[in-house]
Amino acid sequence: MNLTRDRLRSIGWAAVLLTCAALTLALTFRVNAVKSQVRLAERQIVALKQDKLLLETEFETRANQQQLRTLNEVEFGYQAPTAGQYMENERQLASLAKPRAANAPTPLRVASADPLSDDDGGLPAMVSPLTGQAMAAETGTEPRAKPVTAATLGDRLGRIERNATRTDVRAE
Amino acid sequence: MSALAISTAVSSGRIELANVRQRSLLLARWRMLWIVALFSMVAVIVVLRIGFVGLVKAAPVRQDLASALLPERGDIVDRNGQPLARAFPAYALWYNPAALGGDGPPLVRSPKDVAAALGRIFPNEDQARLTVRLAAGKPGYLRRRILPEDANRIHALGEPALEFPREIERFYPQGSMASHVLGYVGADGVGRVGMEQVFNRQLTDPSTRGQPAMLSLDTRVQGALEDELLRGMRESNAKGGAGIVLDVDTGEVVALASLPSFNPNLIDQIGAGNIFNRMTNQVYELGSTFKPITVAAALDAGTVTNLSRRYQAARPIAIGGFQIRDSHALGASLNVPESLIHSSNIVTAQIGDELGGARLNATMRALGMNERPSIELPAKGFPLWPKGEWSQITTMTVSYGHGIAVTPLHLASAYAALVNGGIWRPATLKRVQPGTYVPGRRVFKASTSARMRQLLRMIVSIGTGKNANAAGYRVGGKTGSAEKPGAGGYRRTSLVATFAAAFPMDRPRYVIIAMLDEPQGTAATSGQRTAAWNVAPVVGRVVPRIGPLLGIMPDDTRDVDISDLAPLVGRSGSE
Repeated sequence: MNLTRDRLRSIGWAAVLLTCAALTLALTFRVNAVKSQVRLAERQIVALKQDKLLLETEFETRANQQQLRTLNEVEFGYQAPTAGQYMENERQLASLAKPRAANAPTPLRVASADPLSDDDGGLPAMVSPLTGQAMAAETGTEPRAKPVTAATLGDRLGRIERNATRTDVRAE
Repeated sequence: MSALAISTAVSSGRIELANVRQRSLLLARWRMLWIVALFSMVAVIVVLRIGFVGLVKAAPVRQDLASALLPERGDIVDRNGQPLARAFPAYALWYNPAALGGDGPPLVRSPKDVAAALGRIFPNEDQARLTVRLAAGKPGYLRRRILPEDANRIHALGEPALEFPREIERFYPQGSMASHVLGYVGADGVGRVGMEQVFNRQLTDPSTRGQPAMLSLDTRVQGALEDELLRGMRESNAKGGAGIVLDVDTGEVVALASLPSFNPNLIDQIGAGNIFNRMTNQVYELGSTFKPITVAAALDAGTVTNLSRRYQAARPIAIGGFQIRDSHALGASLNVPESLIHSSNIVTAQIGDELGGARLNATMRALGMNERPSIELPAKGFPLWPKGEWSQITTMTVSYGHGIAVTPLHLASAYAALVNGGIWRPATLKRVQPGTYVPGRRVFKASTSARMRQLLRMIVSIGTGKNANAAGYRVGGKTGSAEKPGAGGYRRTSLVATFAAAFPMDRPRYVIIAMLDEPQGTAATSGQRTAAWNVAPVVGRVVPRIGPLLGIMPDDTRDVDISDLAPLVGRSGSE
């Protein structure tokens, strides 16, 4: 075998050409394969959408107005709400409040004392919404007292305050 | 000689043998070569074919995604996007006797057995008829629409001749609801009767059918209206009924019902008889519901300037051999509010007479009473309209709703103009986008409209429309019970009972009309046949059901101010 330089070169070119052709072919096959995958996916989408349409239509047919009416008549008996069930705004809500009658006793008002009230200048501690624990460093050490109502007034009066000065007790 | 001959014979035999060997070798080689060539040719063909398929050949026929998802016929939806009509692929049952091929019988088993098996799947199928059809061996539909699970059961029968092709079917999920508005699609794929016919081009054109056609209807309101109307019809043994809910500011039809209805999914003989639309196609003399229009025209024209003026109501008016009388005595004289509250024909005829035929005619024309109702539906009735110049008797009878026959839709549009400030607008079944200005024509002055709102509210709060007074909704309206014309005059026994109303009267948003055709006096209607007892309660029940859906909250603390008219009305004998 006597390979001249020219011959070698032409064999090389042929090899390159062949490789390129093979790669092109492989790429074309690959592209077509992906295309058919896309086609398959599209066909699945169409089939699923048609299924969805069918189910939706079935649902709407089973829940149509006439069926719902029959169901309501047999099962629930709901009726249209009356005027008394609507409240348009706060003003209308307030209009429901009655003024105090002439000889009615004055409503009991209780001084609401908070031993660790926020008038010590600090901001209210930030509380984690998940754990309910205070997240900030400067948290109060004592649990906050419940607001005093008429029902818990006895407890409140029976408790001896830690600090004797009652400056934080407000009238209202 | 002989030796030579033998030797030649021997030598020639050897040469021949060598020749034979060589020749058979050659032959074998040639054969081998042929086979190799054949195989390699096959291989080359296969490779070429693979290359051709992979590179050149067109892909199998396929639709792109958009066209595959485009419906065969566009959907119709209501104003909230709820589908009212849609195309979806359903199964049909097709008999194909040629499926098995050959000259043998088309079915594997006997037609009787197959018919029995099909009878188990479809219990309502006539088995004898089915047996005959299967035995006849003619291709055709056995059923037009079957469920997917039924298709599976038919497949399990193992009869190749029973095919279930998927076909695009028009389906109406709400059944017979709003059937007169929707219409149906014939076997030829063309829409009939309702909006299917109106929208036919839009629904079939590939460029537009992807978008659903939106109607102004509200499914929930339509359901409530049909429900209550049907109840009213049953309670009064009426022949039919019709109802409409109309937006007074845009003319949008929120609900339109004509009963009895039909099922657009299955047009049978009974259904075909009910396709006629009583709301838009049938003209009726709507009677007393016209009185507010006459009064409004008189107020507008200035012939009634004083509402407290009293008209005689004791004597029937005799004119042209005809007597205008009231259903019962209403006293010696009545003023305008009283005449409406008690629905007096005598007084309204006098008001109409004072107004004059020309002006009443002009008002009726402005309200579109002389032409077919303006709505998209193809079925529109032409009014029976008195031709030419109106004589005194025509003017008087028209003033209280006789001698003129219009569709209930005409009345709805007229009432919308009466209460919305005086603007008449055509009714439409297409949704109007919120905030759009809908042009109309002015028929009444705004002041007249405001006065009419008070008067209509008074009729419901203390007059004949009491049964429609839904608490908190400020309903105003007018009853009308007209005798139907028959051979030789009016038939006293067959009535058309109408109630035309609007709510809420302090700022009217919707007109609602309910009508019953030939109601009878029953226990449920206290033995009465008039509108106050059968249709007014229908409106009274519909309004609380639809009010909250349409954004109108009931409120006992609000009402249209009628304090200036209240002193004009004697509270006694208001029924």
